[in-house]
Amino acid sequence: MRESELIVRRISEGTVIDHIDEGMGLRVLGALGIDGGDGGLTTVALNVPSGKFKKKDIIKIEDRFLADDDTNKLAVIAPRATVNIIRNYKLAEKRRVSLPNEIERIFRCSNPDCITNSGREHIESVMDVIDREVLALKCRYCGRILDVSGIGRAPAAAG
Amino acid sequence: MAANSFFGRDVISVRDLDRRGLEDVFGAAERVMAMPAAERREVARGRTLGYLFYEPSTRTRLSFQAAMASLGGSSLGISDVASSSASKGESLADTVRTLSIYADALVLRHPLDGSSRFAAEVSGKPVINGGSGTEEHPTQAVQDLFTMRREKGRIDGLTVGIIGDLKYGRTVYSLLRALGNYDVKVHLASPESLRIRSDSVYDIRKRLDFTESEQMDDRVGELDVLYVTRIQKERFPDEEEYIRVKGSYVVGLDVLRRMKKGAIILHPLPRLDEISPELDGTEQARYFRQAEYGMHVRAALLALILREEGV
Repeated sequence: MRESELIVRRISEGTVIDHIDEGMGLRVLGALGIDGGDGGLTTVALNVPSGKFKKKDIIKIEDRFLADDDTNKLAVIAPRATVNIIRNYKLAEKRRVSLPNEIERIFRCSNPDCITNSGREHIESVMDVIDREVLALKCRYCGRILDVSGIGRAPAAAG
Repeated sequence: MAANSFFGRDVISVRDLDRRGLEDVFGAAERVMAMPAAERREVARGRTLGYLFYEPSTRTRLSFQAAMASLGGSSLGISDVASSSASKGESLADTVRTLSIYADALVLRHPLDGSSRFAAEVSGKPVINGGSGTEEHPTQAVQDLFTMRREKGRIDGLTVGIIGDLKYGRTVYSLLRALGNYDVKVHLASPESLRIRSDSVYDIRKRLDFTESEQMDDRVGELDVLYVTRIQKERFPDEEEYIRVKGSYVVGLDVLRRMKKGAIILHPLPRLDEISPELDGTEQARYFRQAEYGMHVRAALLALILREEGV
């Protein structure tokens, strides 16, 4: 068994998100809306050695099986992540994240004058993926294109 | 007549209107204009337009009200938010929901980008964007194109110059998107600090052939349409920046003399000093006719939205 797999204990039922880019684990949690509020056991490992020089983050969520719609949200912030569904300690399903047509909530619109940033309305940001090649996202409300350069490291996450 | 695709629909962005949609509105506007007044007053008899203006307006609000009245309908709404519960902190969503109870269609002007799309989500009735932030003013763009079509006889093949405040001018973004449906050449001129926002024209660049520069002087002779916009003081985050660029462009008789025969001058209005009043009586000046067409175009849109059989 590899060192990275030993750092956090095996789970019997649930979801393991592996190969999250180093430092992005907490944003992944935010994107999935996991804050521990439901009482479920979630383990987060940051900067886990991976390969000779690299590091990665890992998240293990017990007794919860994430659906494609949930994990595809991660395509922009953790494009190399793999999602492993574990049942009875065994790998029941393994999938890669793939870019959805729209991404809700994760990214705040970069336009300060967008209605989604008003702070007065009950509204969540929605970004439409308009170009998969160069990863261009467009705010569904104001139409502004989100600057995607270094987006994975952008500190501004909504929700 | 083909099915009316506008019935019950929101008009939020020019992006939602393709060439066929634009032509449908133009056709309806022509028919509305040709109708005897008595017939026109039957089109929306008993129907109500609700208006909600969080920013000042002269032509957009009045032309919508005049349009509704000309169709036999009535209007109610809020033109001064200080007199409404918005001043007590009521959200846009709740205000829109309330107005949509009393009206058959809504027109909204709001200082935030995306406000109309959000309003459309919460409204029980169709929403028309009457200007959202610096983002869009779709009915102005339809009116602008209709004016070109009426006054020049066509849109395809035109060379259009747009000068002034291209950064904050919402009419410019809507106009460029609408022109992207036609085979036109566009030249843009503005002070460097008021160039169009590249992140707002990402999708326009793919469909529209346009150049950008700081001066229109060497292009004036090529233009079929010179579209002038106001430098919008109210949009500047910094007054010093406004003072630096105000008065950058003044279209006077000298410019007029260099324009080719048959060229026209448009302006979404209001204007300050960017078009000299001495031009108002010239044959090139078509901006007040443009304002008049605005009323007919809005009447056409309302008729299409409110009546399944269209007009």
